[in-house]
Amino acid sequence: MESIISTGLIGLSLGTQYALISIGFTLIFGILGVINFAHGGFYILGGYVAFTLSHTLGLPYVAAVVIATLATGVLGYVIEFVLVDKHVNDHIATMILTLGIYLVMTTGIIGVYGPEPAEFTFPVSGAWRSGGVYMPYSNLIVFVVCTLAIAGVYYLIFKTRYGIALRAMADDRAVATAQGIRPSRMFPLAFGIATSLAGLTGALVTPILALEPHGGEAVVTKAFIIVILGGLGSVGGATVAAFIVGMVESYTSVYFGGSKGALALFVLVLVILLVRPSGLMGRETRKA
Amino acid sequence: MQLNRRRELSLDLWAVLLLFPLIAVPFLTNNSLVYSLTHQVVIGLVATLGVYIMLRMDLLAFTVPAFMAIGGYAAAIVTKSGSSNLLLLMAAAFVVPALFAIPLGALVLRLKGTYFIFITYIFNEILQLLIFETPTLTGGSDGIAGLPPAAMFGIELSSPRMLLLVTITVGIVAALATLAVTHRFRPEFSSIEENETLAQSLGVAVWKYRSIGFIASAGVSGLAGFALVNQLSTAHPSSFASFSAINYIAYVFVGGRRTMLGPVVGTVLLVSMSNAFSSQAQYSSALFGLLLIAVVTIAPGGLVGTGQRLVAALGSRFRGKALASEPNKTHANGEHV
Repeated sequence: MESIISTGLIGLSLGTQYALISIGFTLIFGILGVINFAHGGFYILGGYVAFTLSHTLGLPYVAAVVIATLATGVLGYVIEFVLVDKHVNDHIATMILTLGIYLVMTTGIIGVYGPEPAEFTFPVSGAWRSGGVYMPYSNLIVFVVCTLAIAGVYYLIFKTRYGIALRAMADDRAVATAQGIRPSRMFPLAFGIATSLAGLTGALVTPILALEPHGGEAVVTKAFIIVILGGLGSVGGATVAAFIVGMVESYTSVYFGGSKGALALFVLVLVILLVRPSGLMGRETRKA
Repeated sequence: MQLNRRRELSLDLWAVLLLFPLIAVPFLTNNSLVYSLTHQVVIGLVATLGVYIMLRMDLLAFTVPAFMAIGGYAAAIVTKSGSSNLLLLMAAAFVVPALFAIPLGALVLRLKGTYFIFITYIFNEILQLLIFETPTLTGGSDGIAGLPPAAMFGIELSSPRMLLLVTITVGIVAALATLAVTHRFRPEFSSIEENETLAQSLGVAVWKYRSIGFIASAGVSGLAGFALVNQLSTAHPSSFASFSAINYIAYVFVGGRRTMLGPVVGTVLLVSMSNAFSSQAQYSSALFGLLLIAVVTIAPGGLVGTGQRLVAALGSRFRGKALASEPNKTHANGEHV
């Protein structure tokens, strides 16, 4: 019984991480119509920035995480503004662009840090115990911070004027533009917010999992599965699907081991596509 | 318009013709570096043609490594069971992935472009996991090693020279197959590429032609997988990593996605470049990345497309001058201007 609860807690913690990654990914898709292959790159970059600041320069870990979040956000803003913005209407062109950006990012990281995984450790060790239930403090902290971040994103999207404008943009770009919402202003900001979420997750999670230059590929694959499950462009769907994926991964890895969990998820995705191609909570938001 | 079509056909034919001189390579040299480069170029090109076929219908497919794996493993399993006839192996490497593509196509081709990309990407991951989970059939993480080379007329084609010849033969067959499919269905593919809804309303059965393209792409990718397995005499999951799809995509886009010459130019150039950089292999991927960014921002048609544009610009300038000096001929040339 206790192990079932512990496993569930790990699943929840995984779910919040995945949610943060996938919300960013699905925001970019929903608003710009761009599949951001570089999303995993921003995650890894967030990890390396935090690593450099906290381990090499000796800054407190909290400051390192904040700076990593801001840095990846600014970089995302600049990249959207300079490179992606002119091509948002051509989905193959933007995909090729973001693939190119991803390749340049990983190579840049390898050039600076080398191909080996970095020795990045979480500053807090130990675990919280109650009876037989067990949860490492690091996972607990990640869970809390990610939950706060998700709440922040929800507030931004559903309660602020900027969020309303963003959602209008996602619903119908032509009408939103006619209402005076300027794409040239919204797109870079949306992209920057999304990449900063990826950077934040990377800074928080890579010390627990692993920090290596090619880690972004697995992250993008996971984001793909989650957004298909949840429905492309749907923030709520991505959140729910992220928790499903987190739980499935956590339980199957404990009780079945190996790659059975991943395989089960893939099958789930295929079934979803057969039965409900728009995903769990997706609707036809974008004529892709 | 008519002229454009003819020009594209001639560029496609050139792409195939350029492969034939490669047959001379094994007879001209014994240099193992040249051999390895030729293997890489030809196998890379065949895989790239798998991407190219799908791009004819404006679909970006990540399925190539997966179908390469299916083709490669199919050939390996046939070889293990005792028959190593080259023609049989090539047929298996083409047909088995094509058969896989039929139900998969029925599932994914009704999805819109972006979903298609996600699913084809995930399909690679599924296949990698399946290979690891079925060790009795595929050897799991060890792969299938120590395969005897393909044979023809009872002669084992095992020397480095013969191995290279097999690869080049596979390359030529795959290029001819690509040429046949893309030209037989050129009007349909082009109409889907340009405006799917309009094509459908004009009576083009979009799903049918997409399936045909998808099946052909799977078969051609399978041939690439066979060539790779035959060269290495091993079928191993690491040969078919999902992310290798990005290399093939880069070859198409850098070379130019509009004609078959594009994949040829792109593959030769990028494979040679990454070999030249081989002492610093990791930097070649940054080069690919920069080239991809450059293709989108500066040269949308890739190298071949940009070349075509330059030639056309120069040509019209030249013709413009010629016409100015001979005004009477304007009407005769009207169609071409």
